Amino acid sequence: MDDFLYAPHPETGLPSRRETDTFDTFFESSWYFARFCCTDNHNAMLDERADHWLPVDQYVGGIEHAVLHLLYSRFFQKLMRDLGLTCHGEPFKNLLTQGMVVAETFYREEGGRRTYYNFKELEFERDDKGRIIAARLSSDKLPVTIGKREKMSKSKNNGIDPQDIIDKYGADTVRLFIMFAAPPDQSLEWSDSGIEGAYRFLKRLWKYARNNCRAAPADATAYTGEQRDARRKIHQTIVKVNDDIGRRYTFNTAIAAVMELLNVLSRMNGQSANAAAVRREGLEVMVLLLSPIIPHITDAIWRAMGKETALIDAGWPQADEDALVEDELQLVVQVNGKKRAQIFAAPDASEESIKSDALGNENVKRHISGKTVAKVIIVPQRLVNIVVHG
Amino acid sequence: MDRAYQPQKIELEVQAAWKEKRAFKVTEDPDREKFYCLSMFPYPSGKLHIGHVRNYTIGDVIARYQRLQGRNVLQPMGWDAFGLPAENAAIENRVAPAKWTYQNIDYMRTQLQRLGFAYDWGREIATCRPEYYRWEQWFFTELYRKGLVYKKTAPVNWDPVDQTVLANEQVIDGRGWRSGAVVERKEIPQWFLKITDYSEELLEELDNLDGWPDSVRTMQRNWIGRSEGVEIDFPIAGGPEKLTVFTTRPDTLFGVSYMAVAFEHPVAVAAAQRRADIAAFVQKYSSAGTSEAELEAMEKEGIPLDIHVTHPFTGEALPVWVANFILMGYGTGAVMGVPGHDSRDWEFATKHELPIRPVIRPADGAVINLDEGAYVQKGILENSGEFDGRTSEQAFAAIADRLEGTGMGRRKVNYRLRDWGISRQRYWGCPIPVITDEGGGSAPLPAHELPVV
Repeated sequence: MDDFLYAPHPETGLPSRRETDTFDTFFESSWYFARFCCTDNHNAMLDERADHWLPVDQYVGGIEHAVLHLLYSRFFQKLMRDLGLTCHGEPFKNLLTQGMVVAETFYREEGGRRTYYNFKELEFERDDKGRIIAARLSSDKLPVTIGKREKMSKSKNNGIDPQDIIDKYGADTVRLFIMFAAPPDQSLEWSDSGIEGAYRFLKRLWKYARNNCRAAPADATAYTGEQRDARRKIHQTIVKVNDDIGRRYTFNTAIAAVMELLNVLSRMNGQSANAAAVRREGLEVMVLLLSPIIPHITDAIWRAMGKETALIDAGWPQADEDALVEDELQLVVQVNGKKRAQIFAAPDASEESIKSDALGNENVKRHISGKTVAKVIIVPQRLVNIVVHG
Repeated sequence: MDRAYQPQKIELEVQAAWKEKRAFKVTEDPDREKFYCLSMFPYPSGKLHIGHVRNYTIGDVIARYQRLQGRNVLQPMGWDAFGLPAENAAIENRVAPAKWTYQNIDYMRTQLQRLGFAYDWGREIATCRPEYYRWEQWFFTELYRKGLVYKKTAPVNWDPVDQTVLANEQVIDGRGWRSGAVVERKEIPQWFLKITDYSEELLEELDNLDGWPDSVRTMQRNWIGRSEGVEIDFPIAGGPEKLTVFTTRPDTLFGVSYMAVAFEHPVAVAAAQRRADIAAFVQKYSSAGTSEAELEAMEKEGIPLDIHVTHPFTGEALPVWVANFILMGYGTGAVMGVPGHDSRDWEFATKHELPIRPVIRPADGAVINLDEGAYVQKGILENSGEFDGRTSEQAFAAIADRLEGTGMGRRKVNYRLRDWGISRQRYWGCPIPVITDEGGGSAPLPAHELPVV
């Protein structure tokens, strides 16, 4: 210890004492993001790779660091720039501050002091939506008070150990629940039923994948109306997810869209090769869209589909413009209120062209010949009524 | 495919394959757009809590999404590994802080891997390793040479339980953020980084950070706290010295009825040497904290010194007090007391029966009663000599011009931000690479002596 403390002064040679104080630990966290660019350089603090990677394109962390860590890091970045260590003056281009994780609290009050109890110590009564309506302590079977939802913390004893959930359900369930339960910047309400819902979805996805992962490619010229509808839904989902994630980072609505797609595809009938092919096309899209969120199950399905390229490098799916086009609509044509024909029209067809198609129909022509057309009423996307006199 | 969904089996298989292929190792690639995705690294406290899992899941989803978009993604992870809990654990469990920390890191790393996060583990950092912190020691010595580091004896927030100095941010409602103990004020030599040299840039560039939440930018703006005002010299009666104050409200200059200084202000220190009652007062109240909330809430105590200053315009003799709610670190450590138009001053003047003078009236003609509290809004000047009838804004300019013309004051931009005190009296941290000789002269250690472990 004495050897450490006492040493000659490097300039004056006088007997000297080393500083025993240490840095504020915010010192370490004020530049680690830059060091990550070149951790293997043992001859310099930073090198040109810091110029390449910085600034951080997306930084994610808690709002409690809004002033301390985030201000000191900006300061250090400028110091590093001014010492010529990097060309960048700001460390973080985009910042996402995630919301808290909150959960119910349970307590008993005695003499003004609250004792909080953890979920693990309690038994619950739930309503039909799975919400807790009463709680008892397991040890004495007597009720405890249900408190406010608060940030999970030791003092409120309302934490859950994520490892328990991983051990029981797996990582994908935890990841899916977290991303589905709330947008990233909002509070997330912990719920057992939410975890179970996420797990059930993964089981359904697995089952769907087992049934559809090996279908052969489709004959695109022979899709039925139902198959065209399903393909439209698949590609509409890509468009929706692109918008939700790419523009707004609202993963929860993106996940909801894929869940809806799985519902539609699971209901799709038909044992034909084309029906199977469409279901497989949907599977591929769902796997790609969900792979950032549930990377394990999607990787297993991807390989079961016989894919050669690794899923992580497969690239984001592109929406097929042709599949997005709405089919022509069927319109009923009435003459004086009686059905006389059916015509087809594009969804964006003008009233003029619908009117002329209706009047040009052979059967309609027979019923109006020799009479005067008083007016033509078009109920959009449903029917055309032709009123005639004489 | 197996009939049943077996997450434990699938997940471990997939993770083993990623590990074997080093699927998330990344190097620079000039042909692809880079994307650096980072989540705030954890303190290795023992095990992951749910907040970590949420934070890192969000980061990982973004990183994987960006990779599927074709970008070359860097997503590293590490450990913010120095800190007080390791020392506390050392005391409680009789295990060395290093051992405790590395054990925690090993366990938490397996947790992160079990969650399948796409990290380039080849870049892992633990900040408690000399190969990391040697560079911040070197960096400190470089900053020292550039004059961006200095040592000064300064009043600090002293946590009597943790036996350490706390940053202002670590004092919450006058108590230590970890221990909860009431914070005391204490003088010890400290190293400071001149973050105030960067106040302006740190503030201005917030405008360009479009990718940050407005709330965070606002918090930083408030923290930096830029204000435009005037520095005014009040000559001390009977001598050549002046008492200099900074105010954002020079329009209230005619409402000054006293001056107040911090305990550490030279005029207070000198007075305490002359007068035992002043020394006793300073002694009695110097244990209080220094956070803004604390200053706001505390009882405003003070005692008059035996000196007066002269009002720069009216020539009136004004008493100088020492008060417990003035901080040496803010502005000049002295303030002009305008009890009619500042709430703290009103409280102080009411308690100590100092004159309260109305010099600003509401522009809308509303009637105000200064017996009930200060009128802190801007308005129209009154009882202010030739400046009567002007608006606060007009008077700011006119009074500043006049002060500058007579050399008794100057316009000045002031920041709330203060230099960053970086010294901590702790074992489990990065040693400050400085040596001090018998004469008290400090010098940074030369590069070849680094790291100091």
